[in-house]
Amino acid sequence: MAVVTAPVAAAADAAPTGRPLARYGPALGSATACAGFAALIPTIADYSSIRVAWPWISGLGVELSFLIDGLALIFALLITGIGALVLAYSASYFKGHHKLVRLLVLLVLFELSMLGLVLADNLILMFVFWELTTVTSFLLVGFDHEKADARNKALQALLVTAAGGLALLAGILLIGAVAGTLEASALPAAAAALKADPLYPAILVLVLLGAFTKSAQFPFHFWLPNAMAAPTPVSAYLHSATMVKAGVYLLARLTPALGGTGPWLWTLTIVGGVTAVLASIWALRQTDLKLTLAYTTVMALGTLTMFLGGASAIALAAAVTFLIVHAFYKAALFLAVGILDKKAGSREIDQLGGLARPMWRTWVVVALAALSMAGFPPFLGFIGKELKYEGALAVASEPLLVVTFAVAANAMMVAVAGLVAIKPFLGPRTATAAKAGEPPFAMWLGPAVLATGGLVFGIAPELVGAALVNPTASVMIGDRVAKDFKLWHGVNIPLMLSILTFVLGVVIYLALGRIRRGLAAGEAHGLWAAESGYDGVLAGTKALAAWQTRVIQTGRQTQYFLWTTTVLAALLWAGLAMGGFAVMPRGVEAISLIELTMLALAAFGAVATVVTRSRLLAILALGLLGSAVAAIFVFYGAIDVAMTQLLVETLIVVIVAVALLRLPRLTPAPGLEVRWGHLGVALATGVATALALTAVLGTELDRRITDFFEQASATEAFGRNIVNVILVDFRALDTLGEIAVVVVAALGAVALLTRRREHREASR
Amino acid sequence: MNSIILTAATRVITPLMVAFSLFILLRGHNEPGGGFIGGLVATTAFALYAKALGVRATRAALRVEPAAIAVAGLGLAALAGLWGLLAGGAFLEGMWPLLTTTPSGDKAGLPLGSVLLFDVGVYLVVVGSVLAILFALEEDVAASSPEEAD
Amino acid sequence: MVLLTLALVVPLATAILTFLARRTPGLQRGLSVAGAAALLAVSLVLGAEVVAGGPIAATMGGWPAPFGITLVADLLSAAMVVITGVIALAVAVYGLGEIDPAEERIGHHTLLHALLLGVTGAFLTGDLFNLYVWFEVMLIASFGLLALGGRPDQLDGAIKYVALNLVSTLAFLAGVGLLYGATGTLNMADLHGAVPDLDNATVVFTTAALLLFAFSVKSALFPVFFWLPASYHTPSVTTSAVFAALLTKVGVYALIRVFTLIYDAGMPLIQELLLVAAGLTMLTGVLGAAAQNDIRRILSFHIISQIGYMVLGLALYTPLAIVGAIFYIIHHIVVKANLFLVGGVVKKLTGSEDLARIGGLWAAAPWLGVLFLIPALSLAGIPPLSGFWAKLVVIKASLEAEHYVLAATALVVGLLTVYSMSKIWLEAFWKPHPEPARAAGRGLDRGESWALLAPIVGLAAITVLIGLVAAPFYAVSTTAADQLLDPSAYVTAVLGARP
Repeated sequence: MAVVTAPVAAAADAAPTGRPLARYGPALGSATACAGFAALIPTIADYSSIRVAWPWISGLGVELSFLIDGLALIFALLITGIGALVLAYSASYFKGHHKLVRLLVLLVLFELSMLGLVLADNLILMFVFWELTTVTSFLLVGFDHEKADARNKALQALLVTAAGGLALLAGILLIGAVAGTLEASALPAAAAALKADPLYPAILVLVLLGAFTKSAQFPFHFWLPNAMAAPTPVSAYLHSATMVKAGVYLLARLTPALGGTGPWLWTLTIVGGVTAVLASIWALRQTDLKLTLAYTTVMALGTLTMFLGGASAIALAAAVTFLIVHAFYKAALFLAVGILDKKAGSREIDQLGGLARPMWRTWVVVALAALSMAGFPPFLGFIGKELKYEGALAVASEPLLVVTFAVAANAMMVAVAGLVAIKPFLGPRTATAAKAGEPPFAMWLGPAVLATGGLVFGIAPELVGAALVNPTASVMIGDRVAKDFKLWHGVNIPLMLSILTFVLGVVIYLALGRIRRGLAAGEAHGLWAAESGYDGVLAGTKALAAWQTRVIQTGRQTQYFLWTTTVLAALLWAGLAMGGFAVMPRGVEAISLIELTMLALAAFGAVATVVTRSRLLAILALGLLGSAVAAIFVFYGAIDVAMTQLLVETLIVVIVAVALLRLPRLTPAPGLEVRWGHLGVALATGVATALALTAVLGTELDRRITDFFEQASATEAFGRNIVNVILVDFRALDTLGEIAVVVVAALGAVALLTRRREHREASR
Repeated sequence: MNSIILTAATRVITPLMVAFSLFILLRGHNEPGGGFIGGLVATTAFALYAKALGVRATRAALRVEPAAIAVAGLGLAALAGLWGLLAGGAFLEGMWPLLTTTPSGDKAGLPLGSVLLFDVGVYLVVVGSVLAILFALEEDVAASSPEEAD
Repeated sequence: MVLLTLALVVPLATAILTFLARRTPGLQRGLSVAGAAALLAVSLVLGAEVVAGGPIAATMGGWPAPFGITLVADLLSAAMVVITGVIALAVAVYGLGEIDPAEERIGHHTLLHALLLGVTGAFLTGDLFNLYVWFEVMLIASFGLLALGGRPDQLDGAIKYVALNLVSTLAFLAGVGLLYGATGTLNMADLHGAVPDLDNATVVFTTAALLLFAFSVKSALFPVFFWLPASYHTPSVTTSAVFAALLTKVGVYALIRVFTLIYDAGMPLIQELLLVAAGLTMLTGVLGAAAQNDIRRILSFHIISQIGYMVLGLALYTPLAIVGAIFYIIHHIVVKANLFLVGGVVKKLTGSEDLARIGGLWAAAPWLGVLFLIPALSLAGIPPLSGFWAKLVVIKASLEAEHYVLAATALVVGLLTVYSMSKIWLEAFWKPHPEPARAAGRGLDRGESWALLAPIVGLAAITVLIGLVAAPFYAVSTTAADQLLDPSAYVTAVLGARP
């Protein structure tokens, strides 16, 4: 764990003072962590793994469990190694920038999240880190947040990946439900059950949605080129070397549990292949070098996805090797483009030229990386490509399809590599590049190390092959893979395909101008507008939200009342229906004439209150209603209640009369206007309540408590007036609450009136 | 409303009504009445007074701000409740300090105690609260139409 | 036993004392904060006692249940009271930096503590009519708080709020009355035994319908939530925050309590209604938020949306789902209150709550950005913050109950919540301030910043704590859910062991 915490401690030291030690602290921490992980290589090369676990939320099957096997270690090394170089590069790139500290903190937080993602064994724990990479990526893409463009693109990246993340969460939960475990290391044992379960298709779709959005597969690819709004070192790190590979990592991690089925194979192959080919075409279209590289990243991700689909050991080994190859050359090129942008003044291919002399050290780096990208021997890229072709041929079901995708994409990569390495450096010096010069050492170091790595590991491929690729492929295939890694395999089909690739690449490079014009024309016709889907969904959601809110939250109180009461009526009628309308009271006692009269008076008062246009009449009618009710209380012996009711009625009339003095006169309406809908709802509510009441009257009253009150009132509570004893003794807490209500109402009313008067006087 | 007869009558009726309200309050435990009803009667008395003699005069007669009376009533009721608790019983438990247990197990003496205190609290809350609202309204009316103020 | 009483007496006494101290503002403020702190202290001891020994009960007036009124705290009640104590202290302190002195003089503190009295009373009472009483205390106190400013828009909001809520309390009262007529008891533990014995299904279902309606309005469920977005953005931020944290949650609490103890949420029709309402509440709430451009209006609609998750937990009516509902409530109260509090600081610094008229805070006040991100990301369900676990449990429960559509709804609503929160972030924090003169933002003076920021930092710390150390909170939720689904301990605490 010390390995993991090193960068945190270092980041904490990064003060805004600009002291070199502070600025380069995070880079040193990351490098230390990388060295720590490197020390684990011998263990992993031995095909073993390390697992540590602590309990977290056991009830949910969530543990703090970490697993280091080949797959995790490759990613951990890339994350910490490239992380160190990018952090050093950033410290130099943003030297003196007021947001340097913020950038370094976010980068370190991202690095830790990404490390957590690849080291987590528990899938929920992995998801925790997965989402943290989404959030830190959002904050980093929007680093230049003063620009509206950066903000919108950060939002787009966030929403697309978060949407996928939520799908993934559902997928993980379903996996947990079916497999009975959330530990990735325990899933292979449950693979058969998972694949046989009726939920398997749903799981597959959800997990793939998560992986495809994160790793920018077609048709979710669009966010990644847009994320280039981020500063260049961020793009190099997150959107090329690490985060976008999280989806690929997820696929690799779940291959033993979910892979090998028809749907898995076909979906990955086709989505990956289509993504790879389309992305390489789009890459050719770009004039901004950074965007070009972004599209080639999408191409690489597509290729990786495609190869993970094939369940053969060679295909998986090819995927893993290409993963490493790509991380090396692509991060190097991104960082180099950052250098061009900063030191030569532009990233636009048309504005750069003749930089070979003033920036020869940069050129060397770019050339090395581009050669690896194009797959020339003796670079690691060559080995990666040969393996890809070998792997493609090994894909049992559809080798031709995969080979075609691979050759097409690789040929275009050759062209792009040429574009990046030749165009800016040769030819006449452009006006923009007039003041070009070499970058500081810290900026040059990163790309140089990465590009050299591509060469060193190409010459000595066993360093990665036996140590990392074989153990990783073994993890995925569930069987020991021991592939030989050599530069020269003799003359075979992959070599032939390589030669074909170069030839095609050169042809494309030479025809690049024409191709670009053609693609631009196609774009004008909206040929590639996958992004419009996102825009459409977003605009649609906004429109739906606005419409819904207009309809529901109108601001008109009468409508709120109508709806609320309608719901009440509907619920009551539903309740009556559920009870089968069993509402007849048991024994109907004869209602006396005087009771009927009072009822009629009460009803008359209620109706009159509603229909009258005169405020005075309304008050009187309300008083009538109250008095009639009081009379009914008297009939049933509730003298106290009746007295209270009458006194309250009296005071209400007094208070309301005072209040009414203030109100403007009602304009007399031409005639009584009946709102039938409102009337219907009112009647429905009233009738339903009455029916419910009769139903209650049909049941026999359980007299336990009333009997107790009657018996205990005088003997234990020393009062003969049961109503009063209930109020002040048996249920005194109710009364305490109610008098609190009365006091609070008074305070509220006084406050309201006083404050309103203050406002009125202030406005005078 | 400045009728001399009403003014004169009010000066007599109000104290009588207040006295009556206290009677209702006290007998409430055994006969119809109690703090709520008593409070309402007293409130009606003061409302009448305010109608006849004006809010300012009524406030002067009361001496204490109505809202304060209400809050004091609430406090009294709460104290009545705490009495039981502090005596080792339950919150709001009836405390009868003037009752003694006879050898036969019956209670003898005057049934006065925390319960009555509680009811007095209720009485004060009703009086204070309703008057507070009424006065505030009357003053609001007076303030918004100065020419009608008395 | 005394603890239960104290949980009511402390806010009651504080309300009274702050009124008496109204002419000495310093004393009044001190009393208000001290009262809130005392409530928190009492609630913590109460919570510890219930965790250690199970449900406890206290009879009021010394009359045994079911004749008198009983206060009961099972783990759910205790947890709710603890969280109420936390919010009480937070808003009492925050109010020191925010409330207009005129509003303090005229009764802000008294009304606030009266509201807290209603809330704790509602959580602790074991009597259905008494619950109604506390609902009224809450309603009137909140009306007072809404109207305290006296501005026309505040009065408009207050009227809509109180009028629609009165419909709810009326239905509640009718329901209680009918239920008493049918069973002869108001004690909820007693009703637990009495309602299943009723042989008239009409009575059972109509009373259930009335209570369901009443609590649905209180909880702001679809389609009866109109009152909430009409009023929550109008009063002081302190008031908004305490409303947002507690009022609707009392409604949800009542739903959970009544539909586990007296009825059960698995009843035919009731369950279907709750499930549909939960789904539509989540959806309409979050869409409503998406249509707003004012921080507090956005946050208000989000309350509705989040209520949907809690009610979904109840409606699924599986042990795990109830756990989710409880965990969700605890998490949500802290987070939602905090977002409102942060919104208040945003308003202080930028001069408005209208997203179109503010900006530049990420540059001017990055610390506030961090303090916003913690509750905002938690609300959006981003791990490892509290909201993630809450959503996780509810979604897991939906999937296990094979309610896939609702699980999907919950997930999509989560995404839309991310959208809303990022909207606030983009506009208030990232976008430059539209008036460059105000770009630097006004600072907070020392006393103000202490009062405003301490509660925000504290609540944010709780959010992080619940997220990182979720296990004990999950365990409490689990035990609370167990007690709800098997209320024998609750019933025994109230009525004593039955032969």
